[in-house]
Amino acid sequence: MSKTRISRRTMFKGLGGATIGLPLLEEMLVSSVLAAPTNTVPTRAFNVFFGLGIPAPLQTEGFAGVLEPLKPLSDKLLIMRNVDQVRCDERGINAHFDGASGAFTAEPPDGEAKSGGPSIDQVVRRAVHPKGMPPGMVPTLIGGTYFRRSRLSRYVHSYNEDGTVAATMQERPRDLFKRVFGDVQVPDNAVDKRRQRLKKSVLDSVVGQYKEYTGKSSTLGKASRARITEHLERIREYELRALLMRDPRTPARPEKSRLKHGGAADPNGQGIDITLEELTGEWRLMADLYALAIQTDRVRFGSLTFLAAGERIRLTGDYKYGGKTRFKFNDSKQLRRSGDQGCSHEWWHKFNEKKRNEALRWHAHMKMREVAYFLKRLDGADSKEVNGKTILENSMITISTESGDGRHSNVRRELSGVFHAITGANGRFKTGEIMDVGAEGLDVYNTMLRGMGVSRRLGPVRREVRGVDKIRA
Amino acid sequence: MKIAYWLWGLGVFAFSLLCVSEVYQGGQSFAHAQQEKPSKSVKTESTPRVTNGLIAFYDFASTKGATVYDRSGVAKPIHLRIASSSAVRRAKGALEIRGKTIIRSDGNASRLNQSVRQSNQLTVEAWIKPASRNQSGPARIVTISRDSSNRNFTLGQDGDRFDARLRSTKSSKNGMPSISSPSRSLDTRLTHVVYTYDRRGRAMLYINGQLRGRRTLGGKASNWDGRFHLALANELSHDRPWRGTYYLVALYGRGLSQKEIEQNYRAGAGVFAPPTRMAAKPKIDPKSFVATPAAIKHFETKIAPLLARQCLECHGWKSRKGQLDLSRKVAALKGGKDGPAIVPGDPESSLLWESVDFDDMPKDRPPLSRGEKQLLHDWIKSGAIWSGTTIARADYAPDRPKGENWIQRLTVRQYIRTVRHTVGVDIAADARKLLPRDLRADGFSNTAYNLNVDLGHVEAYARLAQLIVQRMDVQKFASVYSKSRQFSDANMRTIIKGMGRWLLRGPVNESEIGTYLTISKAVAKEGGSFSEAVSYIVEAMLQAPRFIYRIENQAGDGKPRRVTGYELASRMSYILWGAPPDRKLLDAAGAGDLADVRKVRAQIGRMLNDPRAVEQSIQFIHEWLNLERLENLRPDRKHYPKWNGQLAIDMRRETTAFFENVVWKQEKPLSALFNAQITYLTPRLARHYGITPQKSDFARYDLTGIPSRGGLLTQGSTLTIGGNEASMVARGLFVLHDILRGKVDDPPPGLDTTPVPAKPGLSNRGVSIERIKDQSCGSCHSKFEPLAFGLEKFDGVGAYQEKDRHGNRLREDGEVLFPGSKKAIAFTTSGQLMDLLAGSSRVAETITWKMTQFSLGRPIVKKDIPTLDTIHKAAMARGGTYQSVITAIIMSDLVQKVQTESRR
Repeated sequence: MSKTRISRRTMFKGLGGATIGLPLLEEMLVSSVLAAPTNTVPTRAFNVFFGLGIPAPLQTEGFAGVLEPLKPLSDKLLIMRNVDQVRCDERGINAHFDGASGAFTAEPPDGEAKSGGPSIDQVVRRAVHPKGMPPGMVPTLIGGTYFRRSRLSRYVHSYNEDGTVAATMQERPRDLFKRVFGDVQVPDNAVDKRRQRLKKSVLDSVVGQYKEYTGKSSTLGKASRARITEHLERIREYELRALLMRDPRTPARPEKSRLKHGGAADPNGQGIDITLEELTGEWRLMADLYALAIQTDRVRFGSLTFLAAGERIRLTGDYKYGGKTRFKFNDSKQLRRSGDQGCSHEWWHKFNEKKRNEALRWHAHMKMREVAYFLKRLDGADSKEVNGKTILENSMITISTESGDGRHSNVRRELSGVFHAITGANGRFKTGEIMDVGAEGLDVYNTMLRGMGVSRRLGPVRREVRGVDKIRA
Repeated sequence: MKIAYWLWGLGVFAFSLLCVSEVYQGGQSFAHAQQEKPSKSVKTESTPRVTNGLIAFYDFASTKGATVYDRSGVAKPIHLRIASSSAVRRAKGALEIRGKTIIRSDGNASRLNQSVRQSNQLTVEAWIKPASRNQSGPARIVTISRDSSNRNFTLGQDGDRFDARLRSTKSSKNGMPSISSPSRSLDTRLTHVVYTYDRRGRAMLYINGQLRGRRTLGGKASNWDGRFHLALANELSHDRPWRGTYYLVALYGRGLSQKEIEQNYRAGAGVFAPPTRMAAKPKIDPKSFVATPAAIKHFETKIAPLLARQCLECHGWKSRKGQLDLSRKVAALKGGKDGPAIVPGDPESSLLWESVDFDDMPKDRPPLSRGEKQLLHDWIKSGAIWSGTTIARADYAPDRPKGENWIQRLTVRQYIRTVRHTVGVDIAADARKLLPRDLRADGFSNTAYNLNVDLGHVEAYARLAQLIVQRMDVQKFASVYSKSRQFSDANMRTIIKGMGRWLLRGPVNESEIGTYLTISKAVAKEGGSFSEAVSYIVEAMLQAPRFIYRIENQAGDGKPRRVTGYELASRMSYILWGAPPDRKLLDAAGAGDLADVRKVRAQIGRMLNDPRAVEQSIQFIHEWLNLERLENLRPDRKHYPKWNGQLAIDMRRETTAFFENVVWKQEKPLSALFNAQITYLTPRLARHYGITPQKSDFARYDLTGIPSRGGLLTQGSTLTIGGNEASMVARGLFVLHDILRGKVDDPPPGLDTTPVPAKPGLSNRGVSIERIKDQSCGSCHSKFEPLAFGLEKFDGVGAYQEKDRHGNRLREDGEVLFPGSKKAIAFTTSGQLMDLLAGSSRVAETITWKMTQFSLGRPIVKKDIPTLDTIHKAAMARGGTYQSVITAIIMSDLVQKVQTESRR
């Protein structure tokens, strides 16, 4: 697994011999032509999800505990404790499903693969770009490194207005790369101008028919029309890529993932064996690519997942932090169990405030380290924007998880104290604090939306708006 | 002594209402007598009033003066003085408060206060007529207090509710917390209101004889302040005025029982009060309520979901708290230990309504909304009509997937089959490689809302369209629609019409023809050929919304409408075949034959005889049982060192072949899938099962001599659901959710949910039994873990064993309690359990539900339930086979009609 860090700078330097072989795409160098003018800071919103959560009592330890890896970014984050997501409870099911669905939406699920409402990143997207994203831009990018599936909301964290997933999950670095930077497979060499023109006429006819079904005379209902509209937007994107982007120097894609994906990654719900190196190697490549997509302004909205809700892995390997080995992961051996019961997930089931919870702590610490890895990728010199701030500082990035207690023994406790952290969104929200918010996630999200200048509110229409003004700058 | 006194009183004054009325209308004698001085008796009508414990009694008989006499007959009467005579109007038996004033005791009400302190009980009764529903504060109707924040007791009006406060050692000096009647329980009609506080510290509020509010205050009245005054119509601080008319006020030094309160209510407000609701309730004949289709639908769509959501967790077929089961009509009407929960036609006599109206239920949860209460009230009032079915919580679970009209994108499988059956090209390998996978949602991968589209789809459709056209004999394909190869507009139009109808599953309109002609013209302009034009047109059609999606007209008035012939043809073919209509079906649609029920049935019969129907049914069983899961089975090597990955493939083949045999070769009822005594095995799988291989290849095995096997649940494909540990929880939940359509709730608060492993001396079943015995776990786990007891002898990979790896001897006996049943049924072998499942109507219903969901491509929602019942009955009447169920589904409104949406 390559552990070479990808950055915009190294990519530009490495043209013709990029270490991991990123393509040089014309659009990546002139993305501003396709997207926003370079003298403005674009509005961005991303959701970063990590699985299994941080038990609320551990959050009170601040940077002295499992949050330690976030400390270097502390002045750029507002860490929120005591955020209540109880309204997301769906009776008869634990937080791995309903809490995960509620992260960034504050709504319980609406079916196994559907949230009860939109996620905040998508609400901002629709408000800022009501007529669609600038041409050539990926409207929503959903990526992640995770293994547990069974239900989609365990790992997808961007939802459309109707609660359906906002984009296809890219779970392999190579797939994410292709989705953002890839040249679409045009159905032949297309060097023949005559053939190009004929292909264009085919595409025009297809577009024309999709437009028929989205226009005023459409005979479709609301949900169906929205689906066809989505299809039309993707055709537009395809069209642009197919007909405008050409770069004969396109080098090789990132190397193929060595990890299991799809159903093989979740064998009968029994969990998988994985080393820390394998896990973080793939995740960091994914994080690099996602960050690069943002840096090159190909993506402004979406979500990134590091381990699914209720993830089941049997992790092994030395965990190093600050130059020292802090823990040796060996879940199955330490739990003295195999299969699903030998997975790190069990540490969350066994959490006990009165005990050390050592394994849980280091798992959570490791997750924070990896979340911080991604955030730092947006905070370097190559992420400086015209206002002198970094992308991390300028974006609205929300970091959350499914639960404030993994024992499944009390709905209220499970969905209370759900860890949340946000970035400043270009001075809109406070940073540099660990704040006891004492509010519903719904109110936090709505306050964030208000801070972003978005009038749309999440949650029940008739519900009284309870602003959490203390999070606003 | 008092009783004797009262009997005397009754002897003198016990007039009937009619008689008194005559006296009032015609003469002076009675009225005059009242004005003389306080009487020593209480005027009643035919029903005597309760007198035991009376402390003070005001019947407002006097028409003049500033005094309201206490006519209780008790020594040291507590007379009241009217502060402002101009603010009141007195009439015989009535005191109307028209302005701001107060009617208060001359001195303190020490006798009253002392009495309550001693007895720790109180009853305050009033017949009143509020002037409006806008009075608040609460506006004081009766008060024993000093000012607005110090009281012994106050009965007041707060808008459209009564509010009562009482000081006790457990409440504040202001008598808080108060007790209120429900919203809208107070209006401007003559009302009988009674507050009681009994020796057990329970406060109750009755309106017109009905309990309308209660609260356990606890404590004692020993802290009552003896200096406080008794007053009417205002607070002693003159800042909480009340307006209205008093007809009677009585105070007792004890808490009257409900019977006594009803008696006083029947006794009436007094001879001078206007007519009121004193008549005995007319008897309601339950038979007078007719179960009309509308009433049944109302129950199924509104009431059953409400009961399922709010009540059945505690009062279901299994839980039956307070011995009350609200899941079945007979049990619900019978009621629980407190009596009938539902009295058809009489909500006020129904404990269900009472407890809900007072927010006593649901316990420890938010009360019902006003709308929900109204629904429940009106339903009982209208006779509490039931549909006759048992309410299962799972069926009426929160209707989250709302059943919106999601357009159906072809799944990858449907796309492949559609291409194969329309243009004869096998594109499977490329399509599976290029198209993003369809993910399961709500149990099936064809769930429309989850069939979204991304760039990868668009790119793949374009690429695949080109590949398909390259592999077609385009000219031959076009020749079906026109023998001519003339590259003229007219000929191209003919070809476009023909190809379009075939590829797009219905006629193309002029606009579409124009669109495709544009391509033809572009090819002509570039000097291209007829064949090239047809190729590009087909390529465009293969990417058209009408090809990629199953498009139907959803515009309308918001009501369901019958689908058109072509829409029905498409529905039928994708339900029966997972593929597009063939030419016969399209022609039938074109000829209008699909409007004829008999012809539709004939088409279904024809289509069921096509191999595509078998393939589609196998897809159903794959999805229902999630057989794709087997591809990724990786059991723990330590526990299962002999595991061979090929076994998973064999298991899937077994279930598929078994299903095909039972459903298609034997045409048995679907429930036979649970106990059919055959299976199909490879030699490898036979050995894994402990069966001597009889043949060298995949073959049918008769299981009649192997009692442990027979039926889906004894096959490795489903037994592996239990995971490495052969978990009773996982297997039991699978049976409960996917075979019985059951539902369980979250674990109760504070429970340690860490799984307990089996160990020497404790088998999986032993662990289960301990869990079921546990008070916290048992109520839910008893619903599903016993369903897996009969499977304990199968290990995590489906092999049969008598002992587990810890040496524990395993069992296969147990009891099964089907959702909706009252009584568990015992079984001694897994074979018997399979027979019970095969004979269960619940299991048969569940299969119908699952097939319907798969057919519709969306989750079942509440409003589908009545139609599902119809489908199921129709299918059962025809043997309950796959063929009968799928036919009933297609003939039902769920397929024959489309829900339209209004654009307004």
